[in-house]
Amino acid sequence: MLTIPRVAVRGMAACVPRFTEETRDIEFYATPEEAAKVEETTGVVRKHIVKDSGVTGVDLCIRAAERLLDDLGWERESIDLIVNVTQTSDYINHPNVFIAHERLGLKKECMSLDIYHGCPGWVVGMMSASSLLSHGAMHRCLLLDGDNISSIQWKMDHESRPLFGDCGTATALEYDDNACPLFFDTGTNSEDGKALIHEPGGYRNPYTLESLRQELDLRSGKLAPEESGMDGMSVFSFGISVPPKSIKRLCEAHNLDLADIDKLVLHQANLFMVQKIAKKLKVEEQRVPISLGEYGNVTSATIPLTIVSQCADEYRTKSMKTVACGFGTGLSWATVYMETTGLIIPDVIIY
Amino acid sequence: MDIDLFVQNFADQFDDTDPDEIKAETAFHDLDEYSSLIALSIIAMVDEEYDVQLKGDDMRAAVTVEDLFNIVQSKIA
Repeated sequence: MLTIPRVAVRGMAACVPRFTEETRDIEFYATPEEAAKVEETTGVVRKHIVKDSGVTGVDLCIRAAERLLDDLGWERESIDLIVNVTQTSDYINHPNVFIAHERLGLKKECMSLDIYHGCPGWVVGMMSASSLLSHGAMHRCLLLDGDNISSIQWKMDHESRPLFGDCGTATALEYDDNACPLFFDTGTNSEDGKALIHEPGGYRNPYTLESLRQELDLRSGKLAPEESGMDGMSVFSFGISVPPKSIKRLCEAHNLDLADIDKLVLHQANLFMVQKIAKKLKVEEQRVPISLGEYGNVTSATIPLTIVSQCADEYRTKSMKTVACGFGTGLSWATVYMETTGLIIPDVIIY
Repeated sequence: MDIDLFVQNFADQFDDTDPDEIKAETAFHDLDEYSSLIALSIIAMVDEEYDVQLKGDDMRAAVTVEDLFNIVQSKIA
């Protein structure tokens, strides 16, 4: 549990690749009915993917950041801190944050922090960035968050293929003596972490010729996996039980009533899970925006993408009280309560 | 924990299967209607009714409904 004063959210932008994949077109569904059933449960009609364009998550993030800086009227020299959250780094040994720092033309005095994280990543990034800003020495921060997760997917994996899309986002934060405090709750169930793990190719189990060939065949679809790369049942079970408890704990600690919250923005794991969590918290669907239909699950970028794509007008024009919760990778979770006013939000950018 | 109530809660997650067909000793993975979606519904039912977080391995390890009942019970105790 953490309270961070004196940091305001000023704006958000999201950028997605132009290619789309329709759920109904996925080749392993035997019948249209089968595809329709998956569409109904996951909520994913289509998602934007980088395909073989060579575009990566950081390209999408940079495009989102450029537009956001322009719309905010922020000079590049005014950025004191850049934080980047991803699990698809362009290079093995050069964190994406440095690529973004260079291409955005930020100043040398700017601090750069890269965070390797999955689905809870945006909230974890918010927590880390605002914590650094709250000291008052650094005034403006860009929080980038995005992946091109579809590039490393196993094409014939029935659990993950229909779900994951690509997206890059940028969130602008600023030191402000009068800002409403941000409240956070976060935690880690690492003993269940194997539910979302990919072992080959890392420094513990470097690729051999054989394991590399297998991985490439799985990615191209030449080989179908014997079982899914993720333990969907364990992740589901975690998702419906732990995040609602975190949200309730945060609300109780700060005397917040969920009935007074304008939006409950949940990580867009899949529709079935989002609806279960919302129902458990007794928050009606009008206050729980869903972006799965057009974008799928874009891992850690789902929360900003959902705000930008589903309720930008409200966030642009009103004061909004938001509870957002990301969960998954770790297994871990992170919840934030934030009050915002008149956010600068460009429409979703197509790369 | 009551086994009969558990079996009934379990059977409620199926749409097309006759509830009489589902008993404590039923090997549920063999039921025609059993699918990954039904498995998620069962996990959600166990979370709601018993406040127990089942794992994928628990679902895979259980052969009969009673096996799953025993796993849930062991997690309550």
